Amino acid sequence: MIVYTLFVVSLIVFAITQILPADAAVMMLGENATPEALDALRQTMGLDAPIWQQYATWLWHVVQGDLGTSLRTGQPVGPAMFEALGRSLLLALLSIGLMLVLAIPLGIIAAIRRGKIADMVVSLISYAGVALPEFVTATIAVLVFADWMKWLPPTGYVPLTEDFFGGIAHLVLPVCVISIILIAHVSRMVRSELVDVLHTDYIRAARLKGLSRGHVLRRHALRNALLPTITIVALDVGYLLGGVIVVEEIFAIPGIGRQLIVAIQARDLPAIQAGVLIMAATYSIVNFIADILYAWLDKRIQYD
Amino acid sequence: MTEFLKRLLKTPQGAIGTFLVVLVLAIVVFGPMIAPYDPEKLSPLARYKGPSAAYWLGTDQYGRDIFSRLLIGARATVVMAVFATIAGTLIGALIGTASAFLGGRADELIMRTIDAVMSIPSLLFALLVVNLLGSSTINALVAVAIAFAPGMARITRSVALSVRKQDYVNAAIARGESSAYIIRREMLPNVIAPIIVEMTIRVSFAVMLFATLSFLGLGAQPPAAEWGLMVSEARRYMHMSAGILIWPSVAIAIVAVGFNLLGDGLRDALNPRT
Amino acid sequence: MLEMKRRFFLAGTAAILAAPSMSFAQAATPARGGTLKISVDQAASVIHPLLTRVNPEYLVTELLYSNLTRLRVDMSIEPDLAESWSANDALTEWTFTLRTGVTFHDGSAFTAKDVVATLKTILDPATASPGRNNIGPISDIAAVDDATVLIKLSGSFADLPAALAYPNARIIPAAIAAGDLKSLSTKAVGTGPFKLVSYEPDRLIVVERNEKYYDPARPYLDRVEVQVFPDISAEGSALISGNIDIISTIQPTEFLRIDGTDGIDTLRTPSGQFCNINFGCDTAPFNDPRVRRAIALTVDREAMVGFVTEGFGTIGNDTPLNPSYQFFQQVKQREANIEEAKKLLAEAGFPNGLEATLIASDRPAVRTQLAVALREMAKEAGITINVQTMPHATYLEQVWKKGSFYVGFYNMQPTPDGIFKLLYTSDAAWNETRWNNKAFDALVNEARGTTDEAKRTELYTKAQDIMNEEVPSIIPSFFDVLAAKRSWVEGFEAHPRASVYRLDYASLSDKAPKRG
Repeated sequence: MIVYTLFVVSLIVFAITQILPADAAVMMLGENATPEALDALRQTMGLDAPIWQQYATWLWHVVQGDLGTSLRTGQPVGPAMFEALGRSLLLALLSIGLMLVLAIPLGIIAAIRRGKIADMVVSLISYAGVALPEFVTATIAVLVFADWMKWLPPTGYVPLTEDFFGGIAHLVLPVCVISIILIAHVSRMVRSELVDVLHTDYIRAARLKGLSRGHVLRRHALRNALLPTITIVALDVGYLLGGVIVVEEIFAIPGIGRQLIVAIQARDLPAIQAGVLIMAATYSIVNFIADILYAWLDKRIQYD
Repeated sequence: MTEFLKRLLKTPQGAIGTFLVVLVLAIVVFGPMIAPYDPEKLSPLARYKGPSAAYWLGTDQYGRDIFSRLLIGARATVVMAVFATIAGTLIGALIGTASAFLGGRADELIMRTIDAVMSIPSLLFALLVVNLLGSSTINALVAVAIAFAPGMARITRSVALSVRKQDYVNAAIARGESSAYIIRREMLPNVIAPIIVEMTIRVSFAVMLFATLSFLGLGAQPPAAEWGLMVSEARRYMHMSAGILIWPSVAIAIVAVGFNLLGDGLRDALNPRT
Repeated sequence: MLEMKRRFFLAGTAAILAAPSMSFAQAATPARGGTLKISVDQAASVIHPLLTRVNPEYLVTELLYSNLTRLRVDMSIEPDLAESWSANDALTEWTFTLRTGVTFHDGSAFTAKDVVATLKTILDPATASPGRNNIGPISDIAAVDDATVLIKLSGSFADLPAALAYPNARIIPAAIAAGDLKSLSTKAVGTGPFKLVSYEPDRLIVVERNEKYYDPARPYLDRVEVQVFPDISAEGSALISGNIDIISTIQPTEFLRIDGTDGIDTLRTPSGQFCNINFGCDTAPFNDPRVRRAIALTVDREAMVGFVTEGFGTIGNDTPLNPSYQFFQQVKQREANIEEAKKLLAEAGFPNGLEATLIASDRPAVRTQLAVALREMAKEAGITINVQTMPHATYLEQVWKKGSFYVGFYNMQPTPDGIFKLLYTSDAAWNETRWNNKAFDALVNEARGTTDEAKRTELYTKAQDIMNEEVPSIIPSFFDVLAAKRSWVEGFEAHPRASVYRLDYASLSDKAPKRG
C-alpha cells in the first residue's frame, strides 16, 4: 500500500518538476553560464536523455537511498532533508500532544453537557480555531506574546541538544499556532462521535441495566467514541504538514516545510522531489500505523 | 422548503451562519456599488490613517481606503473560494461516482490512487500546481480545486455506496421503478445533501488556502483587493498601522466562521437524527 | 616629472587612505572577544566565493576571504591583500605589490600565483562567475615575483583598484583554482579574518577568528553567527528581544518600528541603490524613446520616495548616478507632467493610451510596491499597466534580461563606470535594456581612461544627459541603506554599497550579553 502510494507520488512529483519552467542546468550554473558549459553539464546530468529514462534513473537512485544533489547548494539533498524532517517531526509531535491533551477533554465535556453553556463555549472555541489561516494567527501571536508581553522569544530555532529550555521556549508559539486548527477540528469530532455513541441502543441498554452514568461513560461510551479519533488524527496529519510549511516560514524553523518552500522558490528540482516524497511517506506511514492501531484496539474492545 | 428553512434557522449555528453568509453575499453583490472610494486610488498624503469619518476603517500603505477595498475585494475573495470549491467538488464527484459505479478492481485502483494523491498535503499540492501554472487568481483557483478533488471524490464515493444500499432504494427497485427514476428521485437527493454540507464547510477552507497562497506570493496579483493578499501585504506594515492587518483578517474570519456555521446548521437541518 | 607625479598619486592614494583605518583601530581600542549574531533576510545558498550572487552570500565570503582591495564606508579604496599599486600612463598596465607573510586557512602561503590563478579562473567562461565582467577589462595577468602582480588591460581603465574589490574577486589558493574548484561550495580556504566552523545554508553559518589573520589586531570578535530569517517582521522582533545583535539590511517599515527602542541603534546611509523600470529598447512599443519618456513623465517622484522607501530615500532622475557617486553632477530634474506625457504618446502613435504588463519579482517586496504605484500614476496619462508578480526564480529564468517591461533592483556600485558597464552600455554585463546607444558607450569608454576629475565628471554628465533624454529605464528613486544594531555592538556601520559589511572591525562592548 505505502509502496503504491509512493510510486504514484513519485510519478506526480516527477511530472510536475519536469514541466516546471526551470532548466536544471541553468539553475545550477547561474545566469552567466556559457552555452557550451550548459550543454556539458546537461550531458553529465543526463538531462538530454528521454524523460522516461530520466525518471527510471531517478527512481532507481531514490530506491537506493540517493535523493540527488541540490541545484542550489550543490550538497546532497537527502541528509539535509532528513535532518529538517527531524525538526519538523518534533514540532508536529508536540502539536499533536498538545492537541490531544486539550481537544479530547473539550470534546467530552461538550458532548456530556450538550446544549449547555460548556457546549457553547467549546463550540465557540472550535469556530474561532478555524476562523483564520495560520500565517495570520502566527503573526498575531508573535505580536502579542513576543513583542508586547515579551513572554516568549519571537522566532528562531534552538536545537534541544544545545539548550533544552531555550529550545522549548522557541517552540511554544509555533506549536500553539499549529494546534489551534487541529484542536478545533478534533474536539468537534470527539463531541459528535460521543453524542452518536451515547444514543446507541447498546449504551441505552447499559443504562437500563442500572449501571451508573459515569460507569457507562468510562467503560463503554468513551472507548467506542475515541476509537475513530485515531483515524481522524491520522488524517489530520496532512493538514498538520501543510500548517508546518507556513509556521516554519514565519518562525524561521529550518524544518522540511521551510526546505520545501526554499526549494520551490529556487526551482531546486531534486530538493522539491525529495521533500514531497518524504512528506507523502510520512503521511502514509502515520496512517498505516493508525490503521493497525485501530484494528488492534477495536479487537481489544470487542473482546473486553 | 419553508419547513427546511425553519429547521435551519431554529439552531443557533444555522441562524448565525445564515445571517453571516447572507451578509457576505450581500457585500459580494452590492459592495462595489456602495464603496465610497476607488479601491486602487493612491493618496500620498493619506497613508496609514486610523478610522475616521472620511475613512471608516482607515487607509493602507498607499493611502487607499480599506473599507472600499474590503467591499470590492469580497468578489475576488468569496466568489473565487466558492468557484474553487464547486469545481473541486464536481471533479471529485465525477471521480467518486465513477469509482462507485465501476466497482471491483477499477474502484480499488482509483481509490488507492486517490489515497496516494491525498498523501501530499493539500497546501503543498496547491503550491506545486500554482508554481507550475504561474501565479494568478485563476491558477490559484485551479490549484485549490485540484487540491480539493481527491477528498471530495472519497466522500462522494462513500455517500453513493451507502445510499445505494439504503432500504428505500431497494424498496424502489422492488416496486419496479426505472433506474432513471431511482437515481433522480431516490438517490440523487440523498447524495447531494451530505455533499452540500461538506462543500459549505470547505468554502471556508478555500478562503484560507487562497489567503495562504497569497502569503506565499502565489495567489492574487496586486493591486487586487483580495482579502488574503491584503492581509499578507499588511504584515509588512502592521507596525505602521495595525488596522491594515486587522480589518481584512476580521473579514476573512467572518466568511470562514459563517460558512462553517451554515454547514453545521445545514447538516443538522438535513439530518435531524440527534 | 608629470609622469612621476601621477604615478605617485595613484600609488600614494592607497597608502594615505590606508592611514585612517589604522588610527581608528588604535584610537578606539575595541574590546576583543565575544560572539556576534547577525541576521540576513535570505539564505546564503552559495559560499563559493567566485559564484556568489546576493548580499548574504557576499557577507559570508567577506568574512572568510580577502580581496586585493576593499571599500571603506566612504567608498574610497583601501589595501587588503595588495599593499600598494601603480599604473602606467595609459592606465593599461597595473602593478600590485602584495602583502607578505599571509597564509590561507589551510596553512599554505599566499603569493602572487594565487592572485593570478584566481583572476584567471574568474575570467574563464567555464567558471561562469557572475563577476567575470565586473573586474575590469583584463587581458593578461602575470606574477612578476612572489609579491608582485602585473595586470594588463585591453583598454585604459582608471578604476581597476575599485573593480578588484568586487565581491566575486575574493582570492583563493592557486592549488584549488587548478584542482578541485568545486570543493569551495562546502568548505572555505581563504585569507579572511574568520574561518568557517559550520555551514547550514538556510539556517546558520558560523565562523571563528582566524588567529593567523594578517592584521594582528583584527578581528575583534571571537565568533560570528550569521542567522537566516525568512520573515522580516520576525527579524525585527529578534533584534528587539536581543536574540540577534545586528540586522544586516532592514526594511524601512521595520526601521520605523524599532527606531527609538531602548538599546537599539538604527543605521542609515544615503546610497546609489535603486529600483528601476527596465524597458526592452528593442521591442515595440518601448523602442520609441517618446513612449519611454512619456511613462517617465507620469511619475510623481516625491510621492514615489514615500511609497517605496517610507521617506528613506532620494528622488531619481532616470540615470543611475546620484550624489553618492564620485564624479556626479546634477542634470535637469524631470518632473511629473501628464499633459506632456499624453502629447508624447499621441506623437508616438498612441493617442488613446496604451496597455502593457509590468513584471515584478516578489523579492524584495519593494519591486511590487514600485509596480503598483507606477500603475496608478500612469493611469492619469491613459496608460494601462497590468502588474504581474512572480517568484524570483521564475523571474530570473523567464524575464530577467529578456523581458521588455519589468522592475529591476540594484546595489550601488563602487564607481559610475561600475554601474554603467553593469547595466547600460552595449557591452554591459547585464545589458537588460538593449539600449545600445553608441554615443553613450563612447562617453563611458572615454571616461574610464581619464584621470582628470573635472574632465571625467564632464564626460559622465554628458552620458547622464543622453540617458535622461532617452530613458532606457525609469529610475524614480534611490534607497538609503538601512541597518540596525544593539547598542553594545561597536564599529559597525551601514555601507552605501549594501554588499560590504566589514565585520572584522565590529566589536562587542562590555554591555553585551555573554554567550558561550
